[in-house]
Amino acid sequence: MKLKAGLIITAFLLIVALVGLFWTPYSPTAMVSARFTKPCAEHLFGTDNFGRDILSRAMKGLGTTFVIAFTTVLIGAVAGTLVGSVTGYYGGMTDHILMRFNDAVTAFPTFLLALLIVSLVGPGGRYSVILALGLVFIPGFARVMRSEYASLRNRNFVTNARLMGAGDARILFIYLLPNTVRVFLPAFTIGFNNAVLAEAGLSFLGIGVTPPDASLGYMLAEAQGMLAAAPWYALFTGAVIVLLVFGVGLIGEGLQNFMGEVE
Amino acid sequence: MSLLCVGNSEDKTALKAVLKKLLVLPVTMILVSFLTFAAFEAVSGDPARTMLGTEATEEQVQSLRQELGLDRPFAQRYFRWLGGFFSGDLGISYSYRQPVRDLIGSKLLITLLLSLISFTLITVVSLPLGVISYRWKTTVFNQLFMAFPPFFTGILISWVFGIIFRLFTPGAFPDIYTDTGRALVHLFFGSICLAVPRIAMTVRMLRSTVVSEMNKAYVRTAISRGNDRQGVLKRHVLKNSLVSAVSFLGQTLAELVGAGIVVEQVLGIPGLGRFLVTSILHRDYPVIQAIVVILALWVGLAGVLADLINQAIDPRLRIRQGVVSA
Amino acid sequence: MEKKVFVVLLLALLLLASCAKKSSQVPSDEVRIGVSQDFDSLDPHHMTAAGTKEIMFNVYEGLVKPDSSGNIVPAVASQVSRSEDGKTYTFTIRDNVKFHNGRAVTAQDVVYSINRRTDGKDSAAKLAALNVIQGVSAQGNSVVIELKEASNEFLAAIMNAYIIPGDHGDLETNPVGTGPYRFVSRSVQDSLVLERFEDYWGTKAGIKKVTFRILENAEALVLGLQSGALDLVAHLSSDQTVQLDSKAFTIEEGSMNLVQALYLNNKAKPFDNVLVRKALCYATDKRKIIELAFDGYGIPLGTSMFPSFGKYYVDELTDYYSYDPQKAKDLLAQAGYPDGIDITITVPGNYTPHVNAATAMTELFRQAGIRATIRLMDWGTWLEEVYSNRNFQCTVTGVTSDNMTARKLLERFGSKTGNNFTNYSNEDYDRILAQALAEPDDAKQTALYRELEKNLTENAANVYIQDMADLVAVRNGLKGLTFYPLYVLDVSALRWEQ
Repeated sequence: MKLKAGLIITAFLLIVALVGLFWTPYSPTAMVSARFTKPCAEHLFGTDNFGRDILSRAMKGLGTTFVIAFTTVLIGAVAGTLVGSVTGYYGGMTDHILMRFNDAVTAFPTFLLALLIVSLVGPGGRYSVILALGLVFIPGFARVMRSEYASLRNRNFVTNARLMGAGDARILFIYLLPNTVRVFLPAFTIGFNNAVLAEAGLSFLGIGVTPPDASLGYMLAEAQGMLAAAPWYALFTGAVIVLLVFGVGLIGEGLQNFMGEVE
Repeated sequence: MSLLCVGNSEDKTALKAVLKKLLVLPVTMILVSFLTFAAFEAVSGDPARTMLGTEATEEQVQSLRQELGLDRPFAQRYFRWLGGFFSGDLGISYSYRQPVRDLIGSKLLITLLLSLISFTLITVVSLPLGVISYRWKTTVFNQLFMAFPPFFTGILISWVFGIIFRLFTPGAFPDIYTDTGRALVHLFFGSICLAVPRIAMTVRMLRSTVVSEMNKAYVRTAISRGNDRQGVLKRHVLKNSLVSAVSFLGQTLAELVGAGIVVEQVLGIPGLGRFLVTSILHRDYPVIQAIVVILALWVGLAGVLADLINQAIDPRLRIRQGVVSA
Repeated sequence: MEKKVFVVLLLALLLLASCAKKSSQVPSDEVRIGVSQDFDSLDPHHMTAAGTKEIMFNVYEGLVKPDSSGNIVPAVASQVSRSEDGKTYTFTIRDNVKFHNGRAVTAQDVVYSINRRTDGKDSAAKLAALNVIQGVSAQGNSVVIELKEASNEFLAAIMNAYIIPGDHGDLETNPVGTGPYRFVSRSVQDSLVLERFEDYWGTKAGIKKVTFRILENAEALVLGLQSGALDLVAHLSSDQTVQLDSKAFTIEEGSMNLVQALYLNNKAKPFDNVLVRKALCYATDKRKIIELAFDGYGIPLGTSMFPSFGKYYVDELTDYYSYDPQKAKDLLAQAGYPDGIDITITVPGNYTPHVNAATAMTELFRQAGIRATIRLMDWGTWLEEVYSNRNFQCTVTGVTSDNMTARKLLERFGSKTGNNFTNYSNEDYDRILAQALAEPDDAKQTALYRELEKNLTENAANVYIQDMADLVAVRNGLKGLTFYPLYVLDVSALRWEQ
């Protein structure tokens, strides 16, 4: 039920974002109407301080947000799984060192880490934000996957595989990896949501996606300064973010329940 | 008697674990400080240049670098800082040219208050809600509240309470010492932003533990023996669910400070987070170092605290559980 | 049950908040001013941020100081005399000038203050504009300054050698000057409080207490005004002023005295080609940018000078390149870019007016086949990468003159000048600049500076946009706001009237 509702909401938003790639009511950067036009038939979401159509910008921004959040989590998930599998499976000294490092990175303010990476990659642009956030998400995934691997490593099927002469890499990724789906998928959805929020947070702090392209987070940050003149700007963009996070969150919870039932 | 003995030895190993965590804490702090130091080695943006602005000449920048000791080798600068840190000297802020310790005091207080108010809010609201939530058919609303990011709630609150009702001025934080009442109101609005999604998370987490606990054998037995559901819930299930709740809340306490950065920015609360952000933009290394280490300490202490509380609850719970199943 | 408790708690807090609000009524002997950026060092020789200099103008004075019409008038010195050859200046210290700590200003304090800005012992305090000084000495109650060579700009430069007591303590936490206001307290990222200095040598300030509140959020300033917590905020955007109640506030319009432009790196491709630079100029509709991003407020500019500098300003240059996207395309084709060009505009992200101007430009450039992308940078990175390392293609920023001299605005485009971040290099320009700097006669020098402005425009050194409007919201009843051709806020002239 939850899974279904989540999928419907997310699919709807995904379709809107895809449509936004090819068609929007107005060009998202065109300064077409009077500034701060209230929501009306021509501009369902109203216009911003440049007289740009907010709906068109939100459609485009949704796409940007999707891309950023998805790639971000992907980086975090892949690298995190690598770290987590190795530390969880082998344990010992490697585990100790990597996890201490993990702790330090976790205790590091996200903003600082992001700023560092953005400035290393070369500031501005979408890619540095993605990379920055991707790295930020590694420790979380590493921790989840580590405990999963640690709990699985002494199971019978692993011992059997080892007796049959399977190499470590084979055990890690062919035998163990599929068994971590139970935690991996929900973690992925949670990570996606966190990425959406983190990107928006970075936009608030002034390092994120750059104008005239906009992510939802950047739009919301911009809208905050015009709250008294154009409250609809913040309300609509914020509502889209909430809907997206809500939809993906439902999928995550639905998945968790589903996996629970399967077991 | 034997039960008590078990409790004692468990107690000892538990204490050991806490001690170990406490010992690891300084290591994490040193590591974090080192990482920060190293980070700014790589980041472009020279503090001397930022201090002097656009009018400075190149030689002026160079001689200021010398004065600040920025031309020294990395290791030397780091150990000098570390030495200062352990002797309680946090250095002089580059942009304000005042001792970092004097600057940070009131910011730390504000951030602590913000975190503690949100934490209280989360605990007070989510614990009762979490307990009664096992009766709820659906948790969709829960999921919806989880989707409200603090910065958006912050914007909504500024709009509704700040612009429409004018109950506070977002961004204009009253003086915490002379105008404490209004400052607390301001902080309260900030804590709501932080608390909303976390209350939803805590409730969800509690609900699932309560539900799974209710399905356990001892509860079923108790109920089938004729004890009423409510009574069992109150006496046993709650206490057993508390352990996971405490660790979860400990985790939350640790996260609150980091999450507070954006809320401080949105509502204009002059706390550590906002100070950190401006200091990063101005490349004010001594301030950044100090704040980052304080945050790391906070994260570590929150974890230790949660552990300690759990150790306090845990053994007694075990004993009781033994009695019940006997 | 819990919900009820929660609701009661909330109501109680709301009540508390609404009671507390009433306390913020307009006091007659205090003015509360909102500023959007925190102050940096309060030591007059260390302060760098324009916002700090703007406010501390009320606390510190030099031997001479600017007035609102751009003249240099005596301050700590009551008299200035210049020797025949223009190389020796004698300043007579005013009799009744006292520091905020009550001590009278002596010639030794003046010598100390000037030395602190020139001897390089404190590198942050060194002021390059004072390099012309050969030696300073106290002679009784006057101070004699010898110059290496005659300079028309010396008096302007000495304005920034603020006079401080030679035996001062920590100026960061306890600033002491001679201005109409004395420092009371400061809380970092929060507020700064000044109080009228009763022993001020000149006209005493109209208002006793001035509180500056630092509110970094754009809407916080507006809300602060509306809620009655603030009486005056300068440098507002039109987005902010439209939100204010016109019955309670008057919006005064001055200018920021800054040249906002798309500064081009003249050494970076494709801007090393003058045709491309000209194409960019033709593709820029200044008035449209001002209309789109600034709601029509702002004075369009065509060169590195603004109208408030009077005699230096050459008005004809503003429309030297009239907006013509077709011509821009033709020029690009001629330069070897028939399909248009892709450019990256780097902008310091913390400064909204520049981001907005860049956004509007990007949109307008499309019509001329110029595809622009914006890159936001934080200030520290911008300063390093763009301003210092000149590792950029083009950037939107503002250039100002902090001592009212045309020199500050023009010298930076000389090919050998240290802070020539645009890498503009033109032989004629260098030659005229050298002539101008050496010219002792003011009228001739002015003519040369005007030549330089023309040179910048004709060679399309940069794409000049505007001198931004300075919109100041003033609560009704508060009078006396005066605009300077400098980035300063003169609080001493303010007063409440019924």
